[in-house]
Amino acid sequence: MTAATIDTTAGDPRPVPTLRLFAAELRWVLRRPRTLIMFGLFALVPILIAIGVVVADGDGDGNGGRGLIGSIGGNGLVLPIAAMTISLTLLLPLAVAVASADAIAGEASHGTLRGLLLSPVGRLRLVGMKAFGVLVVAVVATLVIAVVGVLAGLVVVGGADGQLITLSGTTVGLGEAVGRVGLVALWTVGQLAAVGAVALAVSSFTEHPLVVLASVLGGLITFGVLSTIPALDWLAPYLLTTGWSAGADALRDPLPLDGLGSSSLVALVYLVVGAAVLITRMSRRDA
Amino acid sequence: MTDRGTGGGTALDTAPTHGAPGPVPAAGAMAARAVGLRKVFGTTVAVDGIDLDVPAGSVFGMLGPNGSGKTTLIRMLLGLTRPSGGTAELLGRPVPDGLSATLPDVGALVEGPGFHPFLSGRENLRRVAMTEPRLGRSEIAAAVETALERVGLAGAAGRRFRGYSLGMKQRLGLASALLVPRRLVVLDEPTNGLDPSGTREVRRIVGELRAGGATVLLSSHLLAEVEAICTHVAVLQAGSLVVSGELSTLLDAGAGGLEITVDDTGAAVEALRAAGATAFTEAPGTVVADGGPPAPRLLAALVHAGIDVFEVHRRRPHLEELFTRLTEDRNDRDGESA
Repeated sequence: MTAATIDTTAGDPRPVPTLRLFAAELRWVLRRPRTLIMFGLFALVPILIAIGVVVADGDGDGNGGRGLIGSIGGNGLVLPIAAMTISLTLLLPLAVAVASADAIAGEASHGTLRGLLLSPVGRLRLVGMKAFGVLVVAVVATLVIAVVGVLAGLVVVGGADGQLITLSGTTVGLGEAVGRVGLVALWTVGQLAAVGAVALAVSSFTEHPLVVLASVLGGLITFGVLSTIPALDWLAPYLLTTGWSAGADALRDPLPLDGLGSSSLVALVYLVVGAAVLITRMSRRDA
Repeated sequence: MTDRGTGGGTALDTAPTHGAPGPVPAAGAMAARAVGLRKVFGTTVAVDGIDLDVPAGSVFGMLGPNGSGKTTLIRMLLGLTRPSGGTAELLGRPVPDGLSATLPDVGALVEGPGFHPFLSGRENLRRVAMTEPRLGRSEIAAAVETALERVGLAGAAGRRFRGYSLGMKQRLGLASALLVPRRLVVLDEPTNGLDPSGTREVRRIVGELRAGGATVLLSSHLLAEVEAICTHVAVLQAGSLVVSGELSTLLDAGAGGLEITVDDTGAAVEALRAAGATAFTEAPGTVVADGGPPAPRLLAALVHAGIDVFEVHRRRPHLEELFTRLTEDRNDRDGESA
């Protein structure tokens, strides 16, 4: 009997390796049906856009309208970047909010947070484990959109001989185009990490997952409203959502990095504040 | 320190031979200790300055009506709730600073079993096992199966927790507390929702744990259950400790005289009164003697008086009577002071 061979008098136990905790969290996140359904739905986003673009082209409209979506017509490699940018406005933050809500508030409502603290995982490591799980959801969701976007762009939309025509009118090769898609994906994950840190902080104060969802969505909507009020223009640089159109910068040539950079900096501030609140709260939370 | 020496009788998943001496706990070692522990939620005093010692190797039953502070006290001992005042110790180390060293040797089922409804019983247990410091990664699968079998859940392990009955949920909670051999097992209302056979199994498991040298701290409102399996009890009432100590001592202290079966009750009462005891006839053929000289002297008096004595036993109250008396006394007092 394996268990019987453990000598409980053999001194203090060593904590479970952090990698094992991460593996446990990964398994838990990926076994959750709603996570998998969510990933499936994200795969549909670029496919639906692709179909929409192709159908619009078929109408004989030619250039398929203006804007980011319009520029996809006959230029498939725009699709992943457009899909990520569109999803970032609501769908991706929602996914991160769901993951964050389940991560702490959900565990608390099932009484499983208690089990983790009793193991003991350690409160700081618990935060790390939960942040890892949320980050995995953000990364996978973004990658699903990016990869399916590239494939759907090349297969369904096609055009430009596997090249990307930038908004500036120049042409870049497949390799660099994929590199730019990767850059936008990385930047998107950074923005989502900020959303995740704040969502986890909210999650650490409640045992009702819905509160987390409501807070994140309410926050996004509030930010959106604030940014439309001219008298509050001075507030815009501090709003996380202000920089969320910077993803389209990757379609310009030469690549302007100031928008991506400054929005990443804002995200970093949200991340640090969220993490600080999260850690403070989790070190004291009753379970 | 509560080092139990090298007895090494921690093979908890092998059937113990009852009566075999387990490892002897170091004299005076406490598996858990509360000193002036207090918890206030808003204006409600949930636990009001409790001092409690849970001796190593005991089966310690915590009794009390709903809302008497049992669970809050347990949660503070395990570091799940920060006390408003006082200190707690677990396996000889302070809470919460020593928890990372002590909790791996503590199994707990607190406030009902907490599991994920979308995972199977086995997968839920596996997740708990992944975070157990005492389990190596290669030992997880075997430990999970052993624990499932031990609580009689092996057959339903593949089913989702969502579909479990209350009793099955409770069994899974027990299984997670027993994943590795423990020095202390804390069971909050362990028989909740269990059928009679489940209740018997809990009793068997507690017996096994004790034989293996572990300390068991359980809370319950089932007095018969506690009386059957506990060596020590503590009675809580409205956040305060009413009494605590060894069960047999407490019951003896509440003893109510001798019950003597004789052929002639009238003569017996006379003889007993003559010997200085308070005596009366209770049922036909039975007299009760209280106070006065010790039992052997009373019996000698009866025999000298030529009365045939068929049976004598001390009236020991059941825990239920003791509990009722203790908690009702207190209610009366509270009523007067209010």
